[in-house]
Amino acid sequence: MIFLTIKRRHKKRTHDSFFSSSLISPHIFPAIKAAMEVDSVNNTNLLHRQQAIYKSLDGIFEIQREMYKGQQYSQIYFARLHLMRTLLYSLLPRWKPYLPVRTVLGLEEGKECVIVGTLYKHMKLKPCILDEYSKERSATPLVKPHNFTHPDDHLILEDESGRVKLRGNIILPSVYVTGVVVALHGKETGAGDFWVEDVMEAGLPDQIEKPLQSGEDKYVVFISGISVGSSLSNPLQFQLFVDHITGHLGDDKEQSIAAQVVQVVIAGNSVELPRGLLNGQNLGSKDQSRLSEPIKELDILLMQIAAGIPVDIMAGPDDPANFSLPQQPLHRCLFPGSSAYNTFRSCYNPHAFELDNVSFLGTSGQNIDDLEHYSDAENKIEFMERTLRWRHIAPTAPNTLGCYPFTDRDPFFVEKCPHVYFVGNQNKYETHLMKGQEEQIVRLICIPKFAETGVAVMLNMRNLECCTLCFGTQFM
Amino acid sequence: MSGKANSNRKRPPPATPSPSLPPQKKNVTEEEDLMDEDVFFEENLLQYEQDSQILRDIEEREAVASRLLKWKRPQLQQPYLSHSQTIVFQQLDIDYIIGESHKELFPNSSGPAAILRIFGVTKEGHSVCCLVHGFEPYFYINCPPGMGPDDISRFHQILEGRMRESNRNSNVPKFVRRIELVHKRSIMYYQQQTLQPFLKVVVALPTMVASCRGILDKGIQIDGIGAKSFMTYESNILFALRFMIDCNIVGGNWVEVPIGKYKKAAKSISYCQLEFDCLFSDLISHTPEGEFSKMAPFRILSFDIECAGRKGHFPEPSQDPVIQIANLATLQGEDQPFIRNVMTLNSCSPIVGVDVMSFDTEKEVLLAWRDFIREVDPDIIIGYNICKFDLPYLIQRAEALNIVDFPVLGRIRNSRVRVKDSTFSSRQYGTRESKEVTVEGRVQFDLLQAMQRDHKLSSYSLNSVSAHFLNEQKEDVHHSIISDLQNGNPETRRRLAVYCLKDAYLPQRLLDKLMYIYNYVEMARVTGVPISFLLSRGQSIKVLSQLLRKSRQKNLLIPNIKQAGSSEQGTYEGATVLEARTGFYDKPIATLDFASLYPSIMMAYNLCYCTLVTPEDARRLNIPPECVNKTPSGETFVRPDLQKGILPEILEELLAARKRAKADLKEAKDPRVRAVLDGRQLALKISANSVYGFTGASIGQLPCLEISSSVTSYGRQMIEHTKKLVEDKFTVLGGYQHTAEVIYGDTDSVMVQFGVPTVEEAMNLGKEAADFISGTFTKPIKLEFEKVYYPYLLISKKRYAGLLWTNKDKFDKMDAKGIETVRRDNCLLVKNLVTECLQKILIDQDIPGAVQYVKNNISDLLMNRIDLSLLVITKGLTKTGDDYEVKAAHVELAERMRKAIIFMQQRDAATAPNVGDRVPYVIVKAAKGAKAYEKSEDPIYVLENNIPIDPHYYLENQISKPLLRIFEPILKNASKELLQGSHTRSISISTPSNSGIMKFAKKQLTCIGCKALISGSSQTLCSHCKGREAELYCKSVSHVSEHEKLFGRLWTQCQECQGSLHQDVLCTSRDCPIFYRRKKAQKDMAEAKLQLDRWSF
Repeated sequence: MIFLTIKRRHKKRTHDSFFSSSLISPHIFPAIKAAMEVDSVNNTNLLHRQQAIYKSLDGIFEIQREMYKGQQYSQIYFARLHLMRTLLYSLLPRWKPYLPVRTVLGLEEGKECVIVGTLYKHMKLKPCILDEYSKERSATPLVKPHNFTHPDDHLILEDESGRVKLRGNIILPSVYVTGVVVALHGKETGAGDFWVEDVMEAGLPDQIEKPLQSGEDKYVVFISGISVGSSLSNPLQFQLFVDHITGHLGDDKEQSIAAQVVQVVIAGNSVELPRGLLNGQNLGSKDQSRLSEPIKELDILLMQIAAGIPVDIMAGPDDPANFSLPQQPLHRCLFPGSSAYNTFRSCYNPHAFELDNVSFLGTSGQNIDDLEHYSDAENKIEFMERTLRWRHIAPTAPNTLGCYPFTDRDPFFVEKCPHVYFVGNQNKYETHLMKGQEEQIVRLICIPKFAETGVAVMLNMRNLECCTLCFGTQFM
Repeated sequence: MSGKANSNRKRPPPATPSPSLPPQKKNVTEEEDLMDEDVFFEENLLQYEQDSQILRDIEEREAVASRLLKWKRPQLQQPYLSHSQTIVFQQLDIDYIIGESHKELFPNSSGPAAILRIFGVTKEGHSVCCLVHGFEPYFYINCPPGMGPDDISRFHQILEGRMRESNRNSNVPKFVRRIELVHKRSIMYYQQQTLQPFLKVVVALPTMVASCRGILDKGIQIDGIGAKSFMTYESNILFALRFMIDCNIVGGNWVEVPIGKYKKAAKSISYCQLEFDCLFSDLISHTPEGEFSKMAPFRILSFDIECAGRKGHFPEPSQDPVIQIANLATLQGEDQPFIRNVMTLNSCSPIVGVDVMSFDTEKEVLLAWRDFIREVDPDIIIGYNICKFDLPYLIQRAEALNIVDFPVLGRIRNSRVRVKDSTFSSRQYGTRESKEVTVEGRVQFDLLQAMQRDHKLSSYSLNSVSAHFLNEQKEDVHHSIISDLQNGNPETRRRLAVYCLKDAYLPQRLLDKLMYIYNYVEMARVTGVPISFLLSRGQSIKVLSQLLRKSRQKNLLIPNIKQAGSSEQGTYEGATVLEARTGFYDKPIATLDFASLYPSIMMAYNLCYCTLVTPEDARRLNIPPECVNKTPSGETFVRPDLQKGILPEILEELLAARKRAKADLKEAKDPRVRAVLDGRQLALKISANSVYGFTGASIGQLPCLEISSSVTSYGRQMIEHTKKLVEDKFTVLGGYQHTAEVIYGDTDSVMVQFGVPTVEEAMNLGKEAADFISGTFTKPIKLEFEKVYYPYLLISKKRYAGLLWTNKDKFDKMDAKGIETVRRDNCLLVKNLVTECLQKILIDQDIPGAVQYVKNNISDLLMNRIDLSLLVITKGLTKTGDDYEVKAAHVELAERMRKAIIFMQQRDAATAPNVGDRVPYVIVKAAKGAKAYEKSEDPIYVLENNIPIDPHYYLENQISKPLLRIFEPILKNASKELLQGSHTRSISISTPSNSGIMKFAKKQLTCIGCKALISGSSQTLCSHCKGREAELYCKSVSHVSEHEKLFGRLWTQCQECQGSLHQDVLCTSRDCPIFYRRKKAQKDMAEAKLQLDRWSF
């Protein structure tokens, strides 16, 4: 009920004749509302919504046909190493042309060489599932640190042939994480360690040159962490967002900007379900509705967007989706209303697509959050830059980040440099324009949690400039 | 072993341990094999030709030769080479050999003589073999009154004749070298006169002590005196120990041989760098103080072998080859090994930091290892179960392959190791025929034996031991996989080598972590026995060694008391246990402890062999009553002013030394010095406590039940006395706020509830009580206040739990005694339940919460929601099925699994357990009335085939008793409340996928929402559930998500343990807490994913 009253009040301000005079709930007649909206925009403002050509690149993230047949995680590491090694080898002539290349096995004491392998970070504080089962409980409960790094952590390089402990202060354990593949220049010491003198990361991949734009502004709006159903989420705030980008809010100028929004991307954590109810037991009718109510609410809001603008929704860690990366799309049966529109796309996480040949890559945030637990950086942008330079958006998968045990490929390998790289569900908005050595330009975006900050991010595809949309409701 | 000596000695029947005795009582069942064994020098030598063959082999093997540089000990410097240096070394092993007596040192004597060999290391790291000449075996007998010098020489002749008769094969010129008249005193009983005549019988060879003793025991006909049997004294002391005692050498101390007192042998017999002959009287033994308390840089070799067994069999040396030997050599005091290598049969890919040596034949592997041992020349050989498995296996394997020159592993040139057959039986491992291997000059230290001796663990596999102490799970490769890995390629063999290396590495880490070298060397120094005795022999030899040393100073002799089966006299009243007032106490309970009670009693009341007055003597000697103590058990001991006891003196010295060591420990900064001191104070404490046990060990060396029963009777008296004083003094009438109550008392502690509500007040009263009561005792008996329990759950005698406080602000830990938290034949569920309940009751003080927790778990159990790994019960298979009289679950299962090999059933026959393995099983549902042993099943098989478990078995036979024990003091009707409530009404059982009927069942899809059968086009939901799609989907997907989480964490953990990301996990360690979970996660994940896939897009 609250929902409707708020809506009405703000509809009055937007001179919307149909909804202000009618109490027909949009819950009941979504199709009618959408149709009306289109008409009204056409008739009164003559603002046309811009369009962009969309191309999905999500195919690699699909695991629908994959099966758990007892495969283990060694294969994904193997695939990753294979891919990355080919790449790194091709870069060697430019980096250290004079040095011989060895495998871990082929190391000889004191002889300088280059080795390529997967890093493994030995961490003292890393939580261990064995402890949960075998440790006797101590009187003082274990404090769960937010970050598990420790000065004693050390790195080990591994290839199929073996492992070697890394020494030297060139390669910092606090920066790297398990799963990154690098090339190292150094030599074996007497103690069987490898003294590192230089490190080469794969670096930014090649980028398809960003197409010359026609000079038109086209915007992509990113939002994440809407968390419908959580105590933090404010229905009005999200409704304001919806109304704003669909052009129901603001003056002509604002509406004309809204008309240039060609795509909305929802980067995870759209609903928050009462987890306690999902324990496998049959639910009473009251709990059934407690469970499905937030999803219905989300569906209605999405429908409003989808009616006007193409919308991609990605699964996030709190969504009703699987846990491991790549997360599969949220099931259509959750969105009976919005899935009727062909502008509504339920997508994978990570998500890759192109709009007018501008390429996008992003996640709902798990990859960066995990890096934050197991390594150190100034800010989230730095983590994002690292993943691109490592050419791997989720190196900690499967070690500390849940991931499907792929057998023949590593879908998180970054083959082509995206123009826009975003992560959802971050604490605050951050952005940076990263430039590569070969003129690659990447817009990095940390999308904050909407329910907590009321902030969405708007990106201009023409110049990759970025701004925020803030929705406050205090004045109400 | 000399058969003669063996047959003389009757093995006493094992005593039934009486429960009333304190833990030291276990000495009784330990058997002391105090038997010298004369080994003639030539006996084990190889022919010279073979030796040169070996040398040539080494030269040919250049690859090995190039490694020698790294392996060799440091070069000798000039002063050593020119013999112009006093040799000081730390000795580690002492043995003796029978050889020709030394021509230069003893120009007048000839014939075989015992030559002692002291092996050790100098501080520069040179190996030393010191050959000590001139020390003769001897013992004492009492001298019949009136025996003059002529009588003695006649006696000598008779004895010589008798000896000749019984040792016909011996070519010794003179058996009894001489008999001397000496004045000494027996340690037994208080005697007024100071010295008496004794005869010291010196014989030619050490084993002759035993045969001579036999003759004298039985009686000997002497002209003029008639047939007479003699009481022998100190006639059962090992020759090497005798030597150490007489030369004041203690285990692991430093020995000095001054310049000019030693002679370099013309032809060296050992591989040691410094080998020389000397006289025993020229040795200088240093007490381990100051500079001489340090450790020499001795070499420790840790090794492990892998054998390729056949499927379904434990490897046997007659058939199964040794395929890899991994070695790790470390210098004492260094934290990194200086050699890491592995010898493999067939090629093996390199391993970083490890010297991989591959050979084409097994013979080469074995010989390479032998050469390695010789060049590295380790002083101590360690490993896990090497004494019972690895070493004998290598020797037997070499025998099977007919490699004659393999077993030259000791330090004596060309001398083959001696192998003794031994039947090794223990409850742990069952009966296994095995060989004991003596490697001359090298101490063997088997970590498994040390673990079993020093720690009570739920499992002694290397895996669980390292998990326990090093916090490191070890990957466990099942022996059935080993052959596959060996038969693969260089990569798979490398995999195996890494595993093998880890098995060699872990014992070294355990040795370091548990400071075994320090602790055992210090124990040897304190008790005076050689280090090798500490693991291979019982407690009592340590006390005996101290007793002998002390009585030697005092001119006392220790009689060799015949060890008649003394089970009748072997019982006496043990320690007292005050009636436990069971219940849950929510007020602080103060604990008053007697500090080392038994040693204190012995000191306070001067209890000793030599102060004991026999009842006859008591009447006869007319000792004034103020000079004696009558113990509560009715024995009489004289007071110290009349005769100071030896045992009290030993104890005083031990405790004083401990005090000193502790004080020094506080001062010390250097971690190595600290390690030595800490090891020493620990050794001193253990030694002090084992003295009492020595006197009570009825089959021991010198049992004296008068002493031990007096000790316990005093102990009982003290406890009663304390109880009385506490309850008399701390009363409301006496001016205290509450009346104190003693709720429980055990051996050396009393638990008091002072009635005060706070820990601080209880602590103050506890201190007051301890001081007050201590004042009433004879010194040095002292009552100490150490800790408070609050709250405290007293279940019964010896079973309690509580939070332990030693300071008033914060409790230290939860302390539980005698409660099912560690027993290993219980399933994990029991342990978890008990721990969690105690946690809730004691720490959270939430009794309803604990009850609810139990109920939830019982309900989960009945509803089949408990994780299978929590239900696995493990038992050791000690013998094959036929040998068991009663059918037992784990044995039946092992038999069934073995039979499956023949019938080629679905089971993996190779994993069938062998004798010695631990068999894990779960109890499954079976036909009504089936016996428990018929219901056992392999957990993996159960997991794979969805076989339903039997929840009632677990409820009734596993969890009910321990839980009731905890809850009965707290809860009325505990049994009814916990085990029969409404939570037990709902039961769910899984359908097995392998049973006969299921083969005929047709599978049909059911609705995910309501389980109704569905047909037609829909794949997921029936028409009724259509509207609930979102809700039902959320449930399905959250199920998947939970499993994914677990799957990821479990499998990455296993990758971590195995130390490789790019290799598949092979580990089959069933001791690992996540082994079954990992398997289950894989299976559950596959099922959940299939279920989710039904929600087609």
